Amino acid sequence: MVYEALDFYDIDSQLTEEELMVRDMVRDWVEEEVLPKIEEACSEGVFPDEWRVSLGEMGVLGAPLEGYGCPGLSYTAYGVICRELERGDSGLRSFASVQGSLAMYPIWDFGSEEQKQKYLPKMATGELIGCFGLTEPDYGSNPGDMVTRAEDKGDHYLLNGAKMWITNGTTSDLAVVWAKLEGVIRGFIVETGDEGYSAPEMKGKHSLKASVTSELVFQDCKIPKDRILPGVKGLKGPFSCLNNARFGISWGALGAAQACFHSAKEYALSRIQFDQPIASYQLVQNKLSWMLREITKGQLLALELARKKDNGSWIPEHISLAKMNNVDIALDIARMARDIHGANGILDEYCIMRHMANLESVKTYEGTHDIHNLILGRHITGIQSFTRSL
Amino acid sequence: MEITIIAETQGNQLHAVTRQLVGAASSLGVSPTILCAGGVGADEASGISGVGKVLSVNGDCFSTFDGGAWATAFDAAAGEGVIMGAATAQGRDVVSRIAARRNIPVVQDVVTLSDGLNMTHPIYSGKAMQDVTISGSCGITLRANTFSPAGDGGSAESATVQQSGDVKIAVKEAIAKASERLDVSDADIIISGGRGMGNPENFDKLYSIAEGVGAAVGASRAAVDAWDPIPHSMQVGQTGKTVNPSLYIAVGISGAIQHLAGMRTSKYIVAINKDPEAPIFKVADYGIVSTWEEALPILASEIAKLQ
Amino acid sequence: MVEIAVLLKQVPDTNAKIAVVGGRVDESAVTSWVTSPYDEYALEAALQLVEAGGGSITAITLGPMRADKVLKDAAALGVTKLVRIWNDEWLDLDSNQVQSVLAEAIKESGADLVFCGKQSADRNQGSTGPGVAEILGAACVVEVSDFNAAEQFYLRPAASGSEKVTVNYPAVITFTKTESELRRPNVRGIMMSKKAQINLVSSDAGASQVTFKGHTSPAEKPPGKTFEGSDSVPEVVGLLRDEAKVL
Repeated sequence: MVYEALDFYDIDSQLTEEELMVRDMVRDWVEEEVLPKIEEACSEGVFPDEWRVSLGEMGVLGAPLEGYGCPGLSYTAYGVICRELERGDSGLRSFASVQGSLAMYPIWDFGSEEQKQKYLPKMATGELIGCFGLTEPDYGSNPGDMVTRAEDKGDHYLLNGAKMWITNGTTSDLAVVWAKLEGVIRGFIVETGDEGYSAPEMKGKHSLKASVTSELVFQDCKIPKDRILPGVKGLKGPFSCLNNARFGISWGALGAAQACFHSAKEYALSRIQFDQPIASYQLVQNKLSWMLREITKGQLLALELARKKDNGSWIPEHISLAKMNNVDIALDIARMARDIHGANGILDEYCIMRHMANLESVKTYEGTHDIHNLILGRHITGIQSFTRSL
Repeated sequence: MEITIIAETQGNQLHAVTRQLVGAASSLGVSPTILCAGGVGADEASGISGVGKVLSVNGDCFSTFDGGAWATAFDAAAGEGVIMGAATAQGRDVVSRIAARRNIPVVQDVVTLSDGLNMTHPIYSGKAMQDVTISGSCGITLRANTFSPAGDGGSAESATVQQSGDVKIAVKEAIAKASERLDVSDADIIISGGRGMGNPENFDKLYSIAEGVGAAVGASRAAVDAWDPIPHSMQVGQTGKTVNPSLYIAVGISGAIQHLAGMRTSKYIVAINKDPEAPIFKVADYGIVSTWEEALPILASEIAKLQ
Repeated sequence: MVEIAVLLKQVPDTNAKIAVVGGRVDESAVTSWVTSPYDEYALEAALQLVEAGGGSITAITLGPMRADKVLKDAAALGVTKLVRIWNDEWLDLDSNQVQSVLAEAIKESGADLVFCGKQSADRNQGSTGPGVAEILGAACVVEVSDFNAAEQFYLRPAASGSEKVTVNYPAVITFTKTESELRRPNVRGIMMSKKAQINLVSSDAGASQVTFKGHTSPAEKPPGKTFEGSDSVPEVVGLLRDEAKVL
């Protein structure tokens, strides 16, 4: 079945020639190299290493960053890349988000010149893989209370604590870890092989199965003094990273939604019940038209947000709205698509159930759906409702 | 109008399509001249009904195929008017070069031809047809098996001319037809087996038919899942390959919706299945309700007759 | 060091639906235009040849402004010389006209080797390669399915199977699908392509000698038929040959 991306308002006609070429490059790669292997990758619970190599060769890692071997594309192009990757699988987009927005970005924005030169060129080519350690077993939506801490030991720092739900953790060459130094949140670069550092993989996921998820454990982990990110203090550091990653998700979720819509439409047209294609029945048309409506609205939201990112007129709340909305509708579309597929919808013959299970994670990570609602609530009322203690 | 036919040969004989070219010329009321490269097939050609004249074009160049050299030789031997060939790799090459030499247009792969000259040829791989008219001289190649062949009973005059051209292509090594198995994504004819084949060894029957017609062998997911010797690369369907051949023959495949998703856009579908209620018959252009054990031997021998 | 001209034609995506409206294929309904697939193999071969032995490539297309895309795509793969031939008055050029304007651009490029697809995915004719070769006084090897960049031999079909041939330059090589995996562009290439200059040329194509009458949709298939028993196999094979014309 040839993939036709739903683009009801011809939104891609707003893209530049360069952005369209990037779109086609990633779309073709996903079509030819990812989709034929994704089910196997999921059932084996691995992220195929050849995908890392290809992403590096295509040059899409750290897409909107400039200099140090990074591509320097627009945020719109970055959004398009995320959309096309996530049309393949949310785990694939997660890999790229974590590498680009969560590991490369903080080094690029807050790192020393030496750190940038040492890590960024090799991260852009995929030779080095990074991960991002913020969430802890007991501190998810509330990262400010994290317990991982760093101590200044004169000629080195000593890290202690644990991080959880870390994408790419086990397979990473370096981790950007947020820890409290004298009570202030700071970023540190921990390299695989550093004494006292381990990253065991978390098993048993029913979601993002083709993505590696890990714990990061620091037991008297000793790192050199030049591994602290000098340019940022406090939650602003990790939140800057998350803004970029959430932006990518707002586009990526649409890719998953488009894939589900495409499959549902094709299925509805070919599945015969009561002597007619089920696409001819009003209840099915109602579902398809709802999907089209929500995807189109999501696309307009994502495009306008990308323009704001590119011209600098964005605020974090804009990103919260788009991330929350687009993941939410993508998940509903996946569930509705499963419904249209009937029993066939649970089979690995179709992308539906995989996207649905993935999107359950996407709804929760990078700021849960509800936290984004509260961010908007605070924006509207001026009253924060995250915590009772003020 | 004058028509000169470039004889298509196979080994030391005329290829069957040559008679179809004569038939097409005859239908326009023309007695064509046939040019035979190096005299190959000249005797047979003069016996074809409706042929006006046979010219054996003898020259050094005819030992190796070089479209440029051959076109030079044929151009010197052929008359004015229409240069006609078969729409094969060599036919298209030679006829387009003669046309370019003469500064006249060429239309390839013609499937209907009538006085005028009005002709039709497929475009977009047959998704549309193009009608054109040429009133002057031109080159034309005809698609094989679309025009009625001329019969025997002719007694055309036969002559020989010496013409050659500069050969610029050298054959370094001839390679025998590889018996390697075609991939379903590349094949124009696909024969697929399902779990109804009983066991993977029975796929050999499909391979032997496939080899004869240059087809690839495919499989349904049920067969791929059930039998290790049937690799995933053969799978046609939702999670396998999506194929679009001219002819798809489904053997012992019931036609689950996931299989249909991968092959329903095939131009023609033949289904062989013992269950008359199998959904595959709903998409088949030609359905045969039979066990494969009975149908395949007959299919093999009937296809062999066509070759 | 070899100068190669690669002829690239822009065609509707081969998966696109082709609709005939008012006696003509409705090109405005085509949403996706691509480089004709066999031409992509020709380009890949040219890139490999230049990688192996040095030289440079000129990509040439004949088409309206939208055809710039195939040149930009080639630029993203590293081709630096890009030529588009067009005149807004051109419509339904015949084989002679196409070949003569292409040959002129090839001469201008200084190429001694011309690579193209064995036929385009829209017109399916296969006249351009040999015709251009004739005008250029060049040899032509058609339907090449493999080649060796170092030894410069080409594999073409033959009655026996296939044969490896060498050819004197100047030469035109037309490619069918080869074993080569087509390379993908990367972001760096795409950024370079943005800066690539397309040289737009026009020339006198002369008059067409072919009168275009119209496009039609192919005849509808007859409805499906089901036959009982294996005795029907010969009849079905007959229908496949005579009615469906697929055997």
